[in-house]
Amino acid sequence: MLESLQNLANGFGIATTIHNLFYCLIGAIVGTLIGVLPGIGPIAGIALLIPATFGLNATSAIIMLAGIYYGAMYGGSTTSILLNVPGETASVITCIDGYQMAQKGRAGPALAIAAIGSFIAGTLGIFGLVFLAPPLAQAALAFGPPEYFSLMIFGFIVLSNVTGTSLLKALMMATIGLIIGTIGLDPVTGDTRFSFGSVSLLGGIEFVAVAIGLFGIGEVLINVHQPKELLDQRVIVPRFRDLYPSLQDLKRSIGAILRGAGIGFGIGLVPGPAPVIATYSSYMIERKISKHPEEFGKGAIEGVAGPESANNSSCQSAFIPLFVLGIPFGPVTAIMLGAFLIHGVSPGPLLISQHPELFWGVIASMYIGNFILLLLNLPFVPFFANILRIPKRILLPLIILFCMTGMYTVNNSIFDIWMMLLFGALGFLMRKWAYEGAPLLLALVLGPKLEVAFRQSLMISHGDFGVFVNRPISMAFLFAAVVFLSIPIIRIIFKKKGGEGNRDKVKG
Amino acid sequence: MLKKVVIGLVLSLIVSISVPLFAAEFPTKEVQIIIPWAAGGATDLIFRALAATTGKYLGKAVVVVNRPGGAGAVGYTECMKAPPDGYTLVSAITPLTILPHQVSTAFTYKSFDPIINVVRDPGMFLVRSDSPWKNVNEFLDYAKKNPGMITVGNSGAGGGVHLIALAFEKTAGVKFNHIPFAGGGPSVTALLGGHVNAVSVSPPEGIEHVKAGKLRIIALFAEKRFELFPDVPTVKEQGIDFTMGQWRGLAAPKGTPPDVIKKLHDAFKKGMEDPVFIKNAKDMSVNLSYLGPEEFGKLMAHDHEFYGKLVKEIKK
Repeated sequence: MLESLQNLANGFGIATTIHNLFYCLIGAIVGTLIGVLPGIGPIAGIALLIPATFGLNATSAIIMLAGIYYGAMYGGSTTSILLNVPGETASVITCIDGYQMAQKGRAGPALAIAAIGSFIAGTLGIFGLVFLAPPLAQAALAFGPPEYFSLMIFGFIVLSNVTGTSLLKALMMATIGLIIGTIGLDPVTGDTRFSFGSVSLLGGIEFVAVAIGLFGIGEVLINVHQPKELLDQRVIVPRFRDLYPSLQDLKRSIGAILRGAGIGFGIGLVPGPAPVIATYSSYMIERKISKHPEEFGKGAIEGVAGPESANNSSCQSAFIPLFVLGIPFGPVTAIMLGAFLIHGVSPGPLLISQHPELFWGVIASMYIGNFILLLLNLPFVPFFANILRIPKRILLPLIILFCMTGMYTVNNSIFDIWMMLLFGALGFLMRKWAYEGAPLLLALVLGPKLEVAFRQSLMISHGDFGVFVNRPISMAFLFAAVVFLSIPIIRIIFKKKGGEGNRDKVKG
Repeated sequence: MLKKVVIGLVLSLIVSISVPLFAAEFPTKEVQIIIPWAAGGATDLIFRALAATTGKYLGKAVVVVNRPGGAGAVGYTECMKAPPDGYTLVSAITPLTILPHQVSTAFTYKSFDPIINVVRDPGMFLVRSDSPWKNVNEFLDYAKKNPGMITVGNSGAGGGVHLIALAFEKTAGVKFNHIPFAGGGPSVTALLGGHVNAVSVSPPEGIEHVKAGKLRIIALFAEKRFELFPDVPTVKEQGIDFTMGQWRGLAAPKGTPPDVIKKLHDAFKKGMEDPVFIKNAKDMSVNLSYLGPEEFGKLMAHDHEFYGKLVKEIKK
């Protein structure tokens, strides 16, 4: 413990040299921009900037690239809140309540609480990284395919009705997501599935195209669909005193931020789509424990504060397996591994002892970077909030343009743009008939991983299904899933009134 | 948009510093290399590093463009359709000779003219250091007595290291239980956690854990020992005649004029010999292995036939 603090102090010495501060700042700024732009996310951003770091020493390079990663987590919420366009996958959930807040003229508090929550959770996440990294990384290894499968099943059951509207509709959407997730190469045999001979479909359907299409393009189309008078009329002018959160907002958010930080940190350690699961879980928990659950989906500030905090702390804990094991658990850390290698540093069990200056310097720079990001983001809140003053007949075409360029930058693919537009049309119909996009996206992310884990487990066990219940961690997740599923049934059996039991109500 | 501008400025700054202008007929504009995989992977990093050192010898900048998708099919199809003028190249790596046997692609290796091979890495099997097998023969003895019981992870079904494992199995006359993972990282994680008995990988995957003593190289399919681990014998030394690995080189669309190929080859060869590139490659622990156009073409032809047979056998 004391040694960690001593090392951290040395790290600050390294991180606060003018040289490294400069690269930390550049990373934070570029990260924020990448986060703000829809489509292009931290993966593409870091990959494009790796060649620019060829001339730097390893520590400065990693400081800058790490800054892009967590900086993108700050910026990602901006377009979700203002335009209902998820800036990157981790901010899909923020669209739900963030956009509703903005529609009520409360874009300012939503943007500000996202930045504040990100700062608090990011800082707590770094604490966890400093003190808990080695034991946690070892614990993460206990997750083999069976454990992973059971965790996914649990996540699927608990999170598919994340918005709490209609369970039936949520399950329908999740099923569509699962089906879409099977397109492309079979992960176990390498055979093609549902690609209809198209080379572009071999790799499956790009998640970003579905996310931007369903949320962003769908929202634009819904707006256009309104009567002409409504389109001209509904320009929202935020009042100046409403630009920053009130004391009341902060009070409501602080619990959500701390819980979000904890959830995100824990889930960040699990291989796979950690930010997505972390943000969905945080939203779900906030809605369940809230004193006013009816506000969720209509602009509850906790619905922004929790998930935004969760995605930031999950981003910090995702560095643990990378630093300690040298193994990336997600696509962003995979790119970071490439950056380490090209600078002649191989992360792994020997990193902390062989390159202490790099490890502690980067950690210290993360504290500084988070602080820079808070200072960078808060003053921009009024500027961003005022984007909504732009008349919709000008703003809406701009959003489409913005989405199309963003989409293109992900894979440099025109095909992806067509996919995005197709899902935009689907998103429009879904909005019109009150189907939620969130369960579909969750299923699209989890489905393929679930399938792979299931098949891997059975291959390892030579077809014995006992592998899922004979292992304690796996058993615990399955048990929790069964309990969760049976709660409503038990309620119906034991409670006389069916008020809570059947929550199906059609929205809008 | 702003971000693209920033990145563009940074990149053009780097390029403008490192590229003096020579007058020559062939490269009158920048040359682009299509990488049919996502940015940040091993192939991408190697060719980005090579592009950075080759620009000055070619006289024009070399730009790397990622066209991921379809397990490489998207990028190869695009390069195949590009005009054969030497301005659009593609990274030709082992899967180019595997993929056409697995799915119906518009291209094979014959759709391209070879330019140069840059990297060849041997395949290897890793096990945990607490595993009971000390050398490849103990490992194979166990496999012979317990067919199908040893689980061997790989980085993806039908991918390079999976096929290496299958070919090794065939040569050694044993049967493994192959478990596909989504990349080399996850397969090494599963080995560390004890969820599989061994993994088939290609350096630098798992090397750090071998250095740290957590994992052991149980089978090395190279011609000679690693410089890094001089104590680890190859399987050939232990009586099993089997060497196999993966290569990474460059190719151009079929029909590119021979003098243009020669100019590109000469420039990339100098780029490969540049001390900056050699250091970058060493840092990434990849094994540089130069082959000229003719030999590289022979290598591709040989592997195309070899993998064709192997893939047919799996599909049975």
